[in-house]
Amino acid sequence: MRSSLWIILPVALVLVITCDRSNRILSDKKPSIKFTQYYLQGEQLYQKHCSNCHQPDGTGLGRVYPPLHQSDFMTNNFEQVICLMKKGMEGEITVNGKEYNQPMPGVSTLTDLEIAEIATYIYNTWEHQRGIIEVSEASRILRECR
Amino acid sequence: MKHLTNLKFLFFTLVFILNACRPEKDKPLPVLGHREVVVNEVNGQKVVDTVYHTIADFEFVNQDSIRVTQNTFSDKIYVADFFFTSCRTICPKMKTQMLRVYDSIQSLPDVLILSHTIDPEHDDIAKLHDFADRLGVQSSKWHFVTGDQDKIFDIAQTSYFATAMVDNTEPDGFIHSGAFLLIDKERRIRGKYDGTREEDVNRLIQDIKRLKKEYAQ
Repeated sequence: MRSSLWIILPVALVLVITCDRSNRILSDKKPSIKFTQYYLQGEQLYQKHCSNCHQPDGTGLGRVYPPLHQSDFMTNNFEQVICLMKKGMEGEITVNGKEYNQPMPGVSTLTDLEIAEIATYIYNTWEHQRGIIEVSEASRILRECR
Repeated sequence: MKHLTNLKFLFFTLVFILNACRPEKDKPLPVLGHREVVVNEVNGQKVVDTVYHTIADFEFVNQDSIRVTQNTFSDKIYVADFFFTSCRTICPKMKTQMLRVYDSIQSLPDVLILSHTIDPEHDDIAKLHDFADRLGVQSSKWHFVTGDQDKIFDIAQTSYFATAMVDNTEPDGFIHSGAFLLIDKERRIRGKYDGTREEDVNRLIQDIKRLKKEYAQ
């Protein structure tokens, strides 16, 4: 009984220390309630409007629909991505060195807030860690869409 | 002693479960569509025959500009569907699922896929070629065909019992079903599956193997 205690105690101690540390790391960047709201709402909107083509896990489909989970296009063309959700886009684009050319219809009924929520979701899932995209930022970009 | 009874019980339960499972798997797939019983006279003897619904003759062109007819599928099992490349509603899901079917039949030389476009005006041969290329699939295994729109609509509705028609109230201008149809070597429909649902397509993948067994005997 006593010997098993000597095994359990150190293990528990290590666990407590590491948990405490990871908690502290989390609390430094602890997602705000606002971020969580945007993110969860964005996830639902993504599944409804985007996942049909880009797939629920963001992997895309062949060279027909480009992936989002790893995407240099998303990283380098943030403002364009915000615009194309609403206005759609046509023509050739290059994503991760591969060429894609399938017209994407925009969802014109999306509000600025909904676009901010979807952006918050896709830019903080998979390999992306951009942080919250505020509705004010989305509105500014959407006003300037070509 | 009690231990032994328990074991016996377990054994019989297992036998029962296994027996109950077996017939379903070995049963041949149903033949869908109407059927007629025909009585013929052969050498003065009355012979009763059942005539099943079959897929009518057709002639379309595939992504490599090759003529595709019923003869392309002679002695083949195939899976058919109706779609168009610019469709943004159910087709992306259908193509995701059909790609799973494609992967599952790689080692089965007598199983093919036939996808008809219902928007031949937009989906010409070049468009279909590009689409197949982008999906990364072989044209010898997966035919994407185009042709006269009326003929495609007609074969969809009268042969495959799939809905496909122009509807300008729809966002893409068409309504069509997301059905996958399993066709046997006698051109009969042996299964209908919702091509947008993963579970249904799992069933299709299993049914292809079941249907192949019928020909193995």
